[in-house]
Amino acid sequence: MTTAIREQTDSAAVRSPGNREIMLSLRDCSLSFGNVPVLNRVSLDVYRNEFISILGPSGCGKSTTLRLMLRLLSPEGGGEVTYASPDLSLGMVFQKPVLMPWLSALQNVMLPLELGEKKKFSKKEAREKAESALRLVGLQDFLNHYPHQLSGGMQQRAAIARALAADPTVLLMDEPFGALDELTREKLNFELLRLWESPETSLSSIVMVTHSIQESVLLSNRVVMMSPRPAGVTDIIPVPLPSPREAGMEELPEFHQTVKELRKRVKHL
Amino acid sequence: MTAKLKDSLYPVLFALGFLILWELAVRLFAIPMYLLPAPTQVVSAIDGSLWSHTLVTLGESLTGFILANILGLVTAIIFVHSKPIEKGMFPLAIALKTTPLVALAPLLVVWLGTGYSSKVIASMLICFFPILVNSVKGLKAIEYEAWELFSTYKGTKREIFWKLRLPTSLPYIFSALKISTSLAIVGAIVGEFVGANKGLGYVVLVSSYHMDTPVMFSAIIASALCGLLLFWVVGLLEKKFIFWTRSDDL
Repeated sequence: MTTAIREQTDSAAVRSPGNREIMLSLRDCSLSFGNVPVLNRVSLDVYRNEFISILGPSGCGKSTTLRLMLRLLSPEGGGEVTYASPDLSLGMVFQKPVLMPWLSALQNVMLPLELGEKKKFSKKEAREKAESALRLVGLQDFLNHYPHQLSGGMQQRAAIARALAADPTVLLMDEPFGALDELTREKLNFELLRLWESPETSLSSIVMVTHSIQESVLLSNRVVMMSPRPAGVTDIIPVPLPSPREAGMEELPEFHQTVKELRKRVKHL
Repeated sequence: MTAKLKDSLYPVLFALGFLILWELAVRLFAIPMYLLPAPTQVVSAIDGSLWSHTLVTLGESLTGFILANILGLVTAIIFVHSKPIEKGMFPLAIALKTTPLVALAPLLVVWLGTGYSSKVIASMLICFFPILVNSVKGLKAIEYEAWELFSTYKGTKREIFWKLRLPTSLPYIFSALKISTSLAIVGAIVGEFVGANKGLGYVVLVSSYHMDTPVMFSAIIASALCGLLLFWVVGLLEKKFIFWTRSDDL
């Protein structure tokens, strides 16, 4: 039954299981901080057009895995992080919004567009891109507001806009909605899916670290389970829910089944 | 607005009440003028020369204040970018800080004479430490994630400094500036005590020789007002520059 639904899902979207294009991959990545081993031979492929959730106990190295993907950290002992193309564009959304309090929402979103040796965009282009990114996340009326004038949810939306403005192909998210209340979180989850599916964004793949089993099942195509430190990938579980994902899919038997399956495996960790 | 007006009215009312009580007490108990002059006696002791002495002291302390803060900030920037220099020089800075300025002031006068510069240097010496310590702290106070954000988007060292470190450190810098406004005046006055022929410190010293307490009081009050003025200006600048944090403390 599970496989039947999965095939149906795959044919609905333009994805064939056989020849899927890899956007980014980790091969045998190990890492330790000082004497503390954090990651133990993590291997993971991120395909085009997929939403991956990374699930695991807290402090197990999920965030570190994202930082490897971003190449903010380098793997040790023969590990490798490869991109589909050298100019693969990655975006990052942190657990905290990390907005500069002295910059307006618009200026915050423009910030990454104006960084770097070679100027990627003119001031005017950057402004236009930032405005359209803020429009995408529904903050078009708050361009000139400063972070302290925005609610927590709006701040995180601005952070997402900042990541989207640079036209990332792969978006990495580290518990982006972890600090928000349940209602806002649910709302933003669906907004995120909408952005991912939207032709207006360049987004192809999303990798999201989360603590929530339900969230991971509802949002993603595959759930990557990581073990406690030193963390490795223990399981990769496909989610047999149809896409596009919609509110109410939590009622489907496939949802419950996958959640149950994940719970069982979490217990075995 | 009216609430704001009301708020600023309270200290004025209290000050007035205090002055009236003072005046009454001096008259009622017939306190001799050389011990405690009444406010009216202090006011009548004020003449044009007080104003010029005030300008001298204000000029010395402001120059020392500005130079010390520029020098302190630059030193902090060097410290933040070079661990060996920070490790090597911080103990020296602390040694300088722990040396009492009063002990150094005569030396400054011997080296630099009784003019303007010895007071400016005294003022600088006393203002230097707060700005150094606070700027070092502020420049290092960046969030790790903010650094990661800049690195992700290939921000250069220069950009990380101007667009992240410096703005992050502004609240720390301003709290140092506020501390050193009053210190700057102390530095100038200590310098004037040791050797000068003008300035508020000089007036205080000379009037003490003549037991001219009303003049002494006028100079003391003038020096306090100088400190208040500097503090107020720095406070205004702080509100303008750091609009994103609420600072209700002094």
